[in-house]
Amino acid sequence: MISRRPSVFIYIHQADADFLREVLAGIEEENVSSEVFEREDADVNALAFDAAADSMMGSGIGISGVDVAMQMRGRRSGENVARLHMPSFSQCRTIGSNSARVMKKQGLRDLDPVSQG
Amino acid sequence: MDLSIIAGVDIGNSTTEVCVGEYAGRKLSRFLTGASVTTTGTKGTLANIHGILSALKSAMGRIGRDVSDIDLIRLNEAAPVIGDTAMETLTETIITDSSMIGHNPSTPAGAGQAAGELLSFDNLDRGKGGTPYIVFVSGSHGYEEVAAAINQAAGRLDIVGMILQADEAVLVENRLNRKIPIVDEVKRIDRIPDGKMAAIEVALPGQFIRMLSNPYGIATLLHLTPEETRTVTPIAKSLIGNRSAVVIKTPNGDIRENVLPAGEIYLNAEHPTRISLDEGADRIMKAVSDAGRIYDVTGQENTNVGNMLSRIRKSMGEVSGETDADIHITDILAVDTLAPVLISGALAGETCLEKAVGIAAMVRTQQLPMRQIAQKLSEKLSTEVRVAGVEAVMASLGALTTPGTTLPLAILDMGGGSTDAAIIREDGTVTLTHQAGAGELVSMLIQTELGLENRYMAEQIKKYPLAKVESLFHMRMENGEMYFVQESIDPRFYGRVVLLTEAGLVRVEKDVPMERIREIRREAKRKVFLTNAIRALRYVAPDHNLKNISNVVLVGGSAADFEIPEMLMEEFTSYGIVCGRGNIRGTEGPRNAVATGLVLSYGGEKK
Repeated sequence: MISRRPSVFIYIHQADADFLREVLAGIEEENVSSEVFEREDADVNALAFDAAADSMMGSGIGISGVDVAMQMRGRRSGENVARLHMPSFSQCRTIGSNSARVMKKQGLRDLDPVSQG
Repeated sequence: MDLSIIAGVDIGNSTTEVCVGEYAGRKLSRFLTGASVTTTGTKGTLANIHGILSALKSAMGRIGRDVSDIDLIRLNEAAPVIGDTAMETLTETIITDSSMIGHNPSTPAGAGQAAGELLSFDNLDRGKGGTPYIVFVSGSHGYEEVAAAINQAAGRLDIVGMILQADEAVLVENRLNRKIPIVDEVKRIDRIPDGKMAAIEVALPGQFIRMLSNPYGIATLLHLTPEETRTVTPIAKSLIGNRSAVVIKTPNGDIRENVLPAGEIYLNAEHPTRISLDEGADRIMKAVSDAGRIYDVTGQENTNVGNMLSRIRKSMGEVSGETDADIHITDILAVDTLAPVLISGALAGETCLEKAVGIAAMVRTQQLPMRQIAQKLSEKLSTEVRVAGVEAVMASLGALTTPGTTLPLAILDMGGGSTDAAIIREDGTVTLTHQAGAGELVSMLIQTELGLENRYMAEQIKKYPLAKVESLFHMRMENGEMYFVQESIDPRFYGRVVLLTEAGLVRVEKDVPMERIREIRREAKRKVFLTNAIRALRYVAPDHNLKNISNVVLVGGSAADFEIPEMLMEEFTSYGIVCGRGNIRGTEGPRNAVATGLVLSYGGEKK
């Protein structure tokens, strides 16, 4: 199931559809491809960690319900690059855009009003 | 024999330095300790005492002794000069009638160029068939809505390009049935005029626009007459190097470069002269050097340079507590520079590199009130405090403790406000000079050329080498070396240019490539310190010929810089001069020269 295409991996568990859509839009605007997989695990930390570990470029996002986390390969589980509970749509876009920018080796954008969870 | 402890204290513009030595009678038996702290308050004011006390405490604490054990404190007779800097742009660019957009959104979409009539997305239904349109969309419309509406109208209307306010160009383009060039992130979409003709261009990936940065390209797309083509030339020029652009044909639309009245500098000197600021730094510095001894420098009233010099005069007056008439600028250093300035009337926050000139000026003041400081300090510590020796002479004495030096010796003291040179001969006579321009001017140039908001960041960039964080586990240093770390670097630094400071990584917020920052930094240092080092040493050299100097020791704060001494070394090799960073007492590096000289000169004085 794991393809070797350079893409952002998104592991989801009962993900909020709006949040997922905005995250995907953020990635698409950066001209980067993404792959979404439904998982059994409900822990958003584990989802993001595994997604980053499995993505060829080491960039992953986990969405569990209304929790969104972004990870990069090499960081410990739980030490997310960003983790938001009930993020705004623009924050979802930024998370998507940042996970794509990781693959392009570009600096990450600041998440406006951060509510780190 | 009687042992006494002597402390030398040097109050500089930025640091206060202390050196403590032990004397057996009249003979220095050994140096005990030293310290350096940030100067409190302006150099030469009572506010300095606080810093002096903490420096003494820190130095004595290091050897487990108390400040009260000191028998005599010797303060430097500070050079009666203070420096200041000012910057002024000489040109300004104005866009009238919102005639263009030229910027680099991170992700424009599509590629190619097109011309058409501007049509607001809200008025899409008013469009007529057969006319090519460029549609502009405010940020209140989402990408799905926009794409759907454009696809629907496509059968009826000829839509050739789009301008978006939101960062959604790729999202919209991916949903269009027919691919067209799209420019996004245009902040002032409300100022785009409906119904005017416009041309749009998005470059292929990895390329810059070609059509709109070429006057004939604009003429081709917008069907311009030869006369009109002439007027769009500045627009084409300002669009060079962009990945996307829009040019709007408006009757009075224009982009203008205003040349501001720069004014003339009047040199009241041995050979009085005047020179226009427009002539550029090289010509100005030539005039300064030809003028001989300078008594005062003023600028033409109500011009850029006039304002600059009067601003310097005013702030110097505040520092020294003297009236305007008593302030005499006795030296200036002019440096050409380019400043990225926000274009007035711009739609997407475009900037333009404007010509600017930076000036450092040096003001001769009356003696700074060191005696007052000595008296206050003496009362506070119940210790004898004396003001002793000319700063440059003390610095030379201190510099002589550098291993491998001999008389005659030239020193180059590169501080924050001024560059000073002195030459000390075998018979003990000293020639010295103070030149305007040093570390602070370098910071100002870096700040201006990078368009930084504050001076602090510019100072950091001046002081530390750069690196680019390329992954969470490695970075590329500015010298090309790769550096790997064990623990993951904070993702905030990922993909960014950072400074390697003692306190860890510091992010450079400007989106400028590392190579460019390095170039600006090194060029600023070269412009100020190379020019001044040669100017200052030529002044003190026998017969004003650099070849008559054999040894130069670099001291002062800027000599501790990680690249300035090497730059000077390279330059001076061609004159056959041995030049290097001082190593005071063989341990202190280029700092502490004056404080050490103060302790040393005590022995000479007693005899």
